[in-house]
Amino acid sequence: MSVIETEIRSGEARQVGNFQLTPLTRVLKVKTPGNHAGFIWNRPKAVIVRTLDGKEQVLPVTDVTRMAIWLMLAGGLLGAIMIRILFRNRQLSSKQE
Amino acid sequence: MTDEIITNQPTESSLDVIQETMDGFLAAADVRAVYGEPIQHDDTTIIPTAEILSALAFGIGSGSGNGVGTDQNPDKPWQGTGGGGGGGGRVLSRPVAIVVASPEGVRVEPVIDITKIALAGLTALGFMVGMMFRMSSRSRSLPDIED
Repeated sequence: MSVIETEIRSGEARQVGNFQLTPLTRVLKVKTPGNHAGFIWNRPKAVIVRTLDGKEQVLPVTDVTRMAIWLMLAGGLLGAIMIRILFRNRQLSSKQE
Repeated sequence: MTDEIITNQPTESSLDVIQETMDGFLAAADVRAVYGEPIQHDDTTIIPTAEILSALAFGIGSGSGNGVGTDQNPDKPWQGTGGGGGGGGRVLSRPVAIVVASPEGVRVEPVIDITKIALAGLTALGFMVGMMFRMSSRSRSLPDIED
């Protein structure tokens, strides 16, 4: 049995009005050898929509909050690096003068 | 007198508790944990979705020992066993989106947590302001070699 497992699971299809909805989730499982500790991260991936005439559409579920948080943190780190580079360049140019 | 060591097996009730805990932990990986029960409102049906983070760790141990006599009863052998265990875990859940099914169609509406985004923004701002202070204080504190 592997320590880290990822899988995509599909749930039972539900009939909602004229649509049949099948939920999909993405699961990340981390287990330690001996099964004394574990971690599960289960998040929605998409919803498969089937209409009565047989058309199928996949609607992805996007986690906007998580994306925004990571973008903010990445922007902050990048900004900090840029500020460092700018200050260094300014110091070097003032020393040369 | 025999010198056999008696190994203390975990009792059935403690194994049941562990089994129940593991079942509860593994239930977090189920699709039904992520997609909630549909909520009907007129022609519209809403299905809430959430992400689940679940962490669990536990340990059990047991031991036994025996020996010959004590100061009070030098001829009476003694024997003892003991066992114990402990564990902990946490389950976190956060809404991600809602699936809205109406006669017009099905759409996925994201759930935006403004508080978390604002906290991340403040942290990012903190990185930048901290770096600015650090660099400006360094440039002031370090004199040139010629000085």
